[in-house]
Amino acid sequence: MQVNWKRRRGTAQYLILILVVITVNFALPRMLPGNPLVFLAGEDVGLLSYAERNELLSRYNLDRPLPVQYVHYLRDLVTLQWGDSFSKREPIWDILWGRVPWTLLLALSSIVLSSFFGAVLGVRAAMNRGRWSDIRLLLIVSFLGSFPSFWLGMVLIAVFAVQLNWFPVFGAYTVGTGYFGLQKLADVLQHLTLPLLTLTLLSIGRYFLTMRYSLIELMGEDYIILAKAKGLPERVIKYKYVMRNALLPFITVLMMDLGFVLSGATVVETVFAYPGLGRLMFEAVLARDYPLLQYSFLVVALIVIAFNYLADRMYAYLDPRVGEEG
Amino acid sequence: MTCENKKKQLPLALAGAVILSIFLIMAIFAPVLAPYDPHQRVGLPFSSPSGGHLLGTNDIGQDIFSELIYGSRLSLGLAVLTALVSTGFGALLGLVAGFLGKRVESVIMRCTDFMLVLPFLPLAILLAAMLGQGFFQLVLVISVISWAGTARIVRAQVLKVKAKGYIFNLQAIGAGPWYLLRKHIFREVLPLITYHTMLSASNAVLIEASLSFLGLGNPLLKSWGSILYYAQIRNAMLTDSWLWWVIPPGLSIAFLSAGFLLIGFYLEAYANPRVERGQIDA
Repeated sequence: MQVNWKRRRGTAQYLILILVVITVNFALPRMLPGNPLVFLAGEDVGLLSYAERNELLSRYNLDRPLPVQYVHYLRDLVTLQWGDSFSKREPIWDILWGRVPWTLLLALSSIVLSSFFGAVLGVRAAMNRGRWSDIRLLLIVSFLGSFPSFWLGMVLIAVFAVQLNWFPVFGAYTVGTGYFGLQKLADVLQHLTLPLLTLTLLSIGRYFLTMRYSLIELMGEDYIILAKAKGLPERVIKYKYVMRNALLPFITVLMMDLGFVLSGATVVETVFAYPGLGRLMFEAVLARDYPLLQYSFLVVALIVIAFNYLADRMYAYLDPRVGEEG
Repeated sequence: MTCENKKKQLPLALAGAVILSIFLIMAIFAPVLAPYDPHQRVGLPFSSPSGGHLLGTNDIGQDIFSELIYGSRLSLGLAVLTALVSTGFGALLGLVAGFLGKRVESVIMRCTDFMLVLPFLPLAILLAAMLGQGFFQLVLVISVISWAGTARIVRAQVLKVKAKGYIFNLQAIGAGPWYLLRKHIFREVLPLITYHTMLSASNAVLIEASLSFLGLGNPLLKSWGSILYYAQIRNAMLTDSWLWWVIPPGLSIAFLSAGFLLIGFYLEAYANPRVERGQIDA
């Protein structure tokens, strides 16, 4: 079996990837059938007069050749002139900037929680491999993974927020309270609990499976057999020989999984009206605000690429064997 | 050990098959099974369950039970079609990459690398919003975002098969590449491909549900995701109606997705050589 997480990507590859994403962002509205004005300006093109149409065309440089448009696009991208969102009547850059922290808070804390619990359960399952307790855990985890994330969120809202009234129904903080300091922190945490729980329940399975798989793989290695033959105590083998080495792939999967977690966050944020990037994409879809949608995607993609890059570098640092593979 | 595994997995695979057959019957006989036309307003909006409406009615008075039954058509049809398209495409690329090697391989693998890094759901939202919301657009969008995993794993498997001694021997006695690909390599990779077809069907159910839930489904077709979309925007969670408006479609999605997965696990026992060696017992 090819061990996927050992595949390396060079810095150049990441730069190409970023360029591809940026170019797709440019090409999509211009490639698709229909008038690109709808995608770029969000105007109801049919209602515009001839003069207004031409005015818009030249404002978005659509009357120029494609390469010229591309250069203008790149320049605006780098100088952060991403235009205004017509549905929110604010610069797109400002809107996105306000949303990124909430998404990162939700996604990163979910990664920490689910990786911890996933790893603990994975170790337990691997140690009892093949017994019913292992299979039972596998089943529960696979079944949890079959639930649609948004549905899990809706049920948690109905039970814990509405029926039991333990947590707020939506949002990331109580609006207009003037809380600050610890009070503010408690308020934010209270709002974070349910979305975080949803996202964590959802992604725990991946960490569980990764941990279980790499442990089982390691326990068949020669050096473990040697350690057993030497008569080392079970505990030493478990923690010093197996766990240490299993941690390596685990940490990388952790970082590389951000794309998966952010995908989950997109719907979870929508359910809880949590003001992150995912919710923003939903609002943009509802308002047919294509530029806002596109730039939200761009930012999500760039965040994921950045974390993958970090994971790659970190892996090379943690595992000296990796360096030579390039 | 292998026998033991299969014995433990067989009931699960059967459960999966039963789940899928139930949904298949629901989809085929929807007009017979559903008490009402799900597109007609047949009752007072927001009614609670009663003899006339088993699961009550939605915000505009459509029968939720009938919506649920008709929803199986879209979910099942879309899952099967998407799984075939995305696994077919991914497997083809994986085979080509693994078999041809060199330039072709590195280009294809770079592309799969790129696809695997991108966050799939935001990409799906972007594509679905721009392509429009027909049934086939959804199939296309979900296929575009999910072929890469299959391509990568099929390629890895092809490389392994190619390195086997007997392929080398066959080449030595003059077997051509097309013959090898058709008669041997494809056959050895086939179990893996069927396993991945089940896996992508299971994922397609969830992704379709998510897209419909985000308002990107086809408004003219009943889908479990779109039932939940209306439940969400009408705040069904704030009243008791979540019990009949939110729970049933969600369970349907989960069971259909799990049904494909359970059969997939069983197939994996054949597809994954590790399991044969008894290294992974479940």
